[in-house]
Amino acid sequence: MTVPLVETLSLVKEYASGGGTVHAIDGVSLSIARGEFVAIMGASGSGKSTFMNMIGCLDIPSSGDVRIDGTATSAMDSDALAELRNRKIGFVFQQFNLLPRTTALDNVAVPLIYAGVGRAERLERARAKLEAMGLGDRLDHSPAKLSGGQQQRVAIARALVTEPLMLLADEPTGALDSQTSEDIMHLFQTLNEAGNTIVLVTHEREIADHASRRIMFRDGKVIEDGPVPSRRLVRP
Amino acid sequence: MRSILTTLGVSIGVFAVVLAVAVGSGAQVSVMGAINSLGSNMAIVFPVPDDENGGAVAERGRLTMRDAVAIERQVEGVSAIAPQLHANVQIVSGGRNAATEAIGVTPGYAEVTNAVAETGRFISDADVRTAARVIVLGRTVVTKLFGDYDPLGETVRVNKVPFTVVGILEAKGSNLGEDNDDLALVPISAARQRFTSDRPLGPDDLRILFVGIEDGVSLGKTKREMSRLLRDRYRVRDGEGSPFIIRTTEEFMEETAMVTGIFQAVLVAIASISLLVGGIGIMNIMLVSVTERTREIGLRMALGAKRSDIRNQFLVEAAVLCMIGGAIGLLLAIAAAAAFQAQADFPVPIGVGTAIGAILFSAVVGLLFGGWPAVRASRLSPIEALRTE
Repeated sequence: MTVPLVETLSLVKEYASGGGTVHAIDGVSLSIARGEFVAIMGASGSGKSTFMNMIGCLDIPSSGDVRIDGTATSAMDSDALAELRNRKIGFVFQQFNLLPRTTALDNVAVPLIYAGVGRAERLERARAKLEAMGLGDRLDHSPAKLSGGQQQRVAIARALVTEPLMLLADEPTGALDSQTSEDIMHLFQTLNEAGNTIVLVTHEREIADHASRRIMFRDGKVIEDGPVPSRRLVRP
Repeated sequence: MRSILTTLGVSIGVFAVVLAVAVGSGAQVSVMGAINSLGSNMAIVFPVPDDENGGAVAERGRLTMRDAVAIERQVEGVSAIAPQLHANVQIVSGGRNAATEAIGVTPGYAEVTNAVAETGRFISDADVRTAARVIVLGRTVVTKLFGDYDPLGETVRVNKVPFTVVGILEAKGSNLGEDNDDLALVPISAARQRFTSDRPLGPDDLRILFVGIEDGVSLGKTKREMSRLLRDRYRVRDGEGSPFIIRTTEEFMEETAMVTGIFQAVLVAIASISLLVGGIGIMNIMLVSVTERTREIGLRMALGAKRSDIRNQFLVEAAVLCMIGGAIGLLLAIAAAAAFQAQADFPVPIGVGTAIGAILFSAVVGLLFGGWPAVRASRLSPIEALRTE
């Protein structure tokens, strides 16, 4: 049996809140295999974002463990976690989170700085990823000069530039109109078909229907986990 | 924009420190120049003033021409002697007059003090022998009495006694506001005859003696020999104070270096306070910057930046800000020094070392004051930083 890409073991995340304790994640154990396209759904406060931050090694569990590619993360220090995020995980955010006053090319090259890649190679690899996203003619544009969809594709190029094991997207279409959302979801499906593992957090069922597996969260617990019943495949 | 305003704080600090260093070394250069204009290797011998060491000693301590000659003949390494009498005089020519100091000298004065007659000649041995009424004027006196006119051969009245101008001294300029050209030289013998002094002098007495010392000879050793000779001549017993004071240019230099060094240190210490204030400004702006860019910090951490990467980014930013500020301050200081130098007769040198030091020091200020904000930035939790709006 192959090692799952992501494996959570009795994952718990608690917050102190007004004298009581809130269980944002309450004992979640699941695994995600290579090549899956997973949509994590739930209402706000259901714990879906917290779960995502936990498997992205951005947040530290109160108890339980997250294993990435077979490696336990609970014992890692902040530097080791940073290196893990850099090499194995690509993040896509709702608000794109591009650096302002910085060109698309330089934005995409940022993760490679922290991977210790030399400048010439950084720019070459960033250029290649942007071209693959169809942004070859926008290399020198700053984010302010790009549309929302273009900004999100720059962000996806940035997430992919280190050739990570999986892509974590937190409401990637939350700031986009429906047509652009469709385009982005099509891009994700294409990337998934090319072998990329994608984990997507959304509260919109239509967006979630683009994935192949759906995990529903409520009150910090998984209430449903299975294949998407009627998958939407975008065919241009 | 805000950053630029803040770097001005560092600019002003660096400006103040660099100027303080420059003024300090300017003072040093100036005083050293004054000492060098006396003559580079020499000792000055003069009797202990009356009010020191009691009257009895001073009574015996009347430096005479015979002492001078004995020093020249018996002390090794003495190249020339310049015995002198000083008097404040009024020199009149035509309708103009000048108050100056007349110094009675021998030809040795030229050798010991590097004085050169620019036109005409210096005081000669024959002048001294015959107590000739000849006078060599300093540039300032010439300008006061004659303007641009060449006074060679003219007669001037010094305290109502007519003297013939036989030479004009090459200008030496001024140091620390003291004009080295405001003087007139006459034969020592003529001075003794013609100018009354505030204190009765014997026929052979000197007010002061400059002793020129050969290059390469230890000034300290020569000083000790002169001191011993004078003690022997005046039969000063061991343990008793000598009636003479001997100072060498070397001692002047050392004292000057110490005094101006303290002066400089005090100035720099005061100026450093403004640099400290500038540094606190940098710390403030960096804290604001860290707060404003919390989301960017979170993003960079998500993309794989280690804590040290974030810390270094902000450290470099603070250092660069400070270095820009330092460079501006340095340029301001150079401009101010040039302006000051043009206005006042006082050198304000800014050396290459000072310049490089100022820039490096600004960088250090940046690292020191940027340190805390940078560490704060690096300690942020990635998820909390990302969540910040």
